[in-house]
Amino acid sequence: MLSRNRAWAWLLRKEWRELMSSRSYWVFLILMGPLVGVSFISAVRTYAEASGLGGTTAGVGEAFSPLIGIWAPTFSACEIAAAFLLPFVAIRLVAGDRQSGALKLEMQHPMSTFVRMGAKFLVLLVGWLIALLAPLAGVLLWKSYGGSIYAPELLTVVFGHLLNAALTIALASAAASVVEHPSTAAILTLAVTVGTWIISFVAAVHGGFWERAVAYTPTAMVAQFQHGLVRLDVVLIAITAVLAGLTLAGIWMRIGIAVRRRAYESAALAALAAAMVFVCTFATVSWDTSENRMNSFSRPDEQALRQIRSPLQIEAHLSPEDPRRADLERRVLSKLRRVMPTLQVRYVSATAIGLFEQSQSQYGEVWYRLNGREVMSRATTPEAVLETIYSLSGITAPTESAEDIFRGHPLAVPPKGAAVVFYLVWPALVVSRIIFQRRIA
Amino acid sequence: MRLASETTPEALVRVRGMTKSYGRLIALRDVSFTIRSGEILGLIGPNGAGKTTLFECLSEVQPADSGTVSFGDSTGAQRLRSSALFYVPDSISPWPQQSVKWAIEFALGFFGGRSELYSEIVRDLGLEPLMRMRVGTLSKGQRKRLLLTIGLLSPQAIVVIDEPFEGLDLRQSRELEATLRKHVVQGRTLFVSIHQIADAARVCDRFVLLSSGSVAAEGTMEELTAFASSRLGHSPSTDFEEIFLALT
Repeated sequence: MLSRNRAWAWLLRKEWRELMSSRSYWVFLILMGPLVGVSFISAVRTYAEASGLGGTTAGVGEAFSPLIGIWAPTFSACEIAAAFLLPFVAIRLVAGDRQSGALKLEMQHPMSTFVRMGAKFLVLLVGWLIALLAPLAGVLLWKSYGGSIYAPELLTVVFGHLLNAALTIALASAAASVVEHPSTAAILTLAVTVGTWIISFVAAVHGGFWERAVAYTPTAMVAQFQHGLVRLDVVLIAITAVLAGLTLAGIWMRIGIAVRRRAYESAALAALAAAMVFVCTFATVSWDTSENRMNSFSRPDEQALRQIRSPLQIEAHLSPEDPRRADLERRVLSKLRRVMPTLQVRYVSATAIGLFEQSQSQYGEVWYRLNGREVMSRATTPEAVLETIYSLSGITAPTESAEDIFRGHPLAVPPKGAAVVFYLVWPALVVSRIIFQRRIA
Repeated sequence: MRLASETTPEALVRVRGMTKSYGRLIALRDVSFTIRSGEILGLIGPNGAGKTTLFECLSEVQPADSGTVSFGDSTGAQRLRSSALFYVPDSISPWPQQSVKWAIEFALGFFGGRSELYSEIVRDLGLEPLMRMRVGTLSKGQRKRLLLTIGLLSPQAIVVIDEPFEGLDLRQSRELEATLRKHVVQGRTLFVSIHQIADAARVCDRFVLLSSGSVAAEGTMEELTAFASSRLGHSPSTDFEEIFLALT
């Protein structure tokens, strides 16, 4: 056991040194500064203008929360980096051993390939955490401007991007292990990313199953975290995908095993992962960590809705591309599902855009059915939908308390010093670290 | 043709019926041979004979289609193989961004190698001036010496080395011969592939002659000479090249 731990420690050291000597990692790290900088500076400027800076109407900023106004755009740079930069770093680290021939030496150690992949994954994740120091600099700058920080929502955003990075690393590792050449692995990884965008497009056009599936794509997952929403099903599915990707990488790293056997194992893994994903979709628990409770109805409304025990059925005659459907889904139904897990929603439409269905009398109707009673409304605003549900269930609508209203944190301060930090100090620090490391080497 | 007894008590490894094909190309065809304790066994064959494939199948770096490898009385699970033999591939440049010193230290730490031999092997293989250089910047011969160092420092009793003399000059080759012999005297068993037949004749105790993926003969120089005589009907020259040509 001692020698196994010792070998693991050496492997970790080796993977760390390989990452630190990887040019792709340092290029990625240098680019993180300007990428985050552009997003942060633009976000702070917009936030300040909305808060009254430069003669704009003061008070608009009250509707703003730092989560949507600052953290979501600032950390969106991490999403770009995870999609277009991180895969190359991961592929380099995973495929490098095969390219150099080091794999032929290392695999002679009886250590499991899955443990080996674990070491690479861990090191890459730490590398990603270092890259997250760039948006963390944004957090410190925001604090220095006097901005408000609500830790739960900020941590949710960070967690979301960490999970997204883990997904990228697992995907890139699998691609680098399955195919022979790193450039093919890069194309494969980017193809998967583009594939998820295509799913989003298909979901927007066709709705149905695709609309459900798109909620689990990395882009949608990150968007949920950026809105302060932590859904257990999404987290579990992401973790399943990460484990499946790393296991697939481990299977194909075993170059001493016949290709046919590895293919069978991969197929079995895919079936197991699909089954686990299916099971995970039944997890309905979620947490709204946003300060302004943007993913939830007000507390009195939630208490009232929880009193409804019978399953509520909603049938919306709206096409997938109809903006009213998006409005209904985002502002009402997503919140309703959180308090009423038995909610059944059915969309009815003959076409994707709904432009030519407007003449049909039923188009635009939203039917609510509860305990054998039904009622129709065409409104899609939260207030109107709640009123309809209350009247259908016979529950008295609660009165809104002044304490529940989010007042926002307006801040009319320009992004002072941010350009210097992100465009000069950050790249200079990274470059000086590279020079220092080369001298040591 | 099996010239050595299959039940030789000192046999460490027995390979039986190893076959490997790449699509329609049969790289190894029913290969069987024995590795004995404390010998330098030479795998001799021309380029393309299947030497590297045989080594990689033996060390499970790539899968064989069929065949068994037994270690003593046990037939080899991967764990057994990895504890019994260490394979040093040819033409690889592992951890190219790391220094030679670190690469050796990593191999020692990771594989749990013979650290007490560190200084001696580094000195014998002339790596001292190269310790601060990056592996990726080494010449072919320097890289070969690094790989040999890693192999000789490994904890396993049997070291399988693909083309140990490839890229070395005459002086280095002679020094390496002496070093390999020293390790065999100290209890190591070596299985080396050599395509330069003259080098093989000097270095090895026994030979496995591989031709087009099949074992043409196995034995000591005397045994191979006798076999060649019986095949030719007259005594061949004592030159190993002539014997090799007669048997393959």
